[in-house]
Amino acid sequence: MTSLYERIGGDAAVDAAVDIFYRKVLMDDRINEFFDGVDMEQQINKQKGFLTMVFGGPNNYTGKDMREGHKHLVARGLNDSHVDAVVELLGATLQELGVAAEDIQEVANLANSVRGDVLNK
Amino acid sequence: MTHIIFDEQRIELEEGQTVLSALLERDHDIANSCRVGVCQSCLLQAVDGEVPESAQVGLKDTLKVQGYFLACSCKPETPLHVVKANDTDLYHSATVIEHELLGSDILRLRLKPEHMFEYRAGQFVTLWKTQSLGRSYSLASVAELDDSLELHIRRIPGGQLSNWLHDEVKVGNSLQLQSATGNCFYIPGSAEQKILLAGTGTGLAPLIGIARDALRQRHSGEIHLIHGTVQKEDLYLHQTLLDMAKQNEQFHYYANVLRLNEQQVPDNANSIIRSLPLEQQVTEIAVQPAEWKAYLCGDESIVNSLKKKLFISGFNMKNIYTDPFVISTDV
Repeated sequence: MTSLYERIGGDAAVDAAVDIFYRKVLMDDRINEFFDGVDMEQQINKQKGFLTMVFGGPNNYTGKDMREGHKHLVARGLNDSHVDAVVELLGATLQELGVAAEDIQEVANLANSVRGDVLNK
Repeated sequence: MTHIIFDEQRIELEEGQTVLSALLERDHDIANSCRVGVCQSCLLQAVDGEVPESAQVGLKDTLKVQGYFLACSCKPETPLHVVKANDTDLYHSATVIEHELLGSDILRLRLKPEHMFEYRAGQFVTLWKTQSLGRSYSLASVAELDDSLELHIRRIPGGQLSNWLHDEVKVGNSLQLQSATGNCFYIPGSAEQKILLAGTGTGLAPLIGIARDALRQRHSGEIHLIHGTVQKEDLYLHQTLLDMAKQNEQFHYYANVLRLNEQQVPDNANSIIRSLPLEQQVTEIAVQPAEWKAYLCGDESIVNSLKKKLFISGFNMKNIYTDPFVISTDV
């Protein structure tokens, strides 16, 4: 059986998804304030890392990385509602790219599995 | 088995070992994060040798051609001389051969380096007044077309370098400069792609270099250059750009002046000088933004905000090249 990452389309899918996803993030007033003033090139590379991870692709991110990387945002008020918004935009991105509903659900599950670490709970 | 040269040391690589792992094993402090070629934290530069293609996946093309690669994905097959990114600085002496005021506060300096060095139009050099006081200025010249270096230097109130260059440096003086760097330049290969060049103030310097370089390399797609300024008097290369547009059918020039006096020119869609904000000017020109390549130079906050707007409007991030000018706070 092929993996989720292969079914979605691997590297190429990450590349196709990242611009669409990041554009949605920047346009979404629920969460875009967290991205004000960040270096967009660096951010897009981080988004690629994130997408690779939630697509079930190869990555070496640990729970500790997730906590450290978002601590400053938690201090600025990052909470469950913002993670919900990200998961929603992720789903919309994949839908646009024609990914099957079951696979989108699996991606959402993977994204939700790091929620606790991201929110430093 | 092969080896790399780093920090003047020869480091043997084991079969299939990555450059990152070899360097970390020897306690070199190399930034890294994902280690699978995604996050680009471990960017290094090869100054000699062949970089495997797989070590450059996902990098901007302007980085690729300069030998940048990801250490975590790099398993070289032949010896590679590696340096930390932006660690290839060389110093040059250059003589001032022209010192001319353009408009009220922009100085055009032409410099003749003792030895000509490689650069790409649109990159910048750092000029040093003393060993610890230097500032970066973009090159407006094109190495293959011009036999001197051209810089445009705006006088910054209280600026240590700009005032010195304006008031004290004269034709015949020798200046110290550091070799060119920067990722905002033309790359041949997509000759038909439409190019947007947008800049404010002396952000025009790299843009005019990029435009001339693209034309030199027979770029066939449209090239649209927007110069944004505060006042009409700041359009310091207006005539040159009008001439370029006259001589090259594919080159288009727009001047966007923030404070336009109504008597100065009619502000309508047909006039070259308008008071339209930059992003609106871009939207009018780039109707299908995904097909465009954009170069943005000049004021840091304007460049960064324009980059964001262009990306949201549909430009691909990999097709946006920027050079935000940072004014030193230590004026």
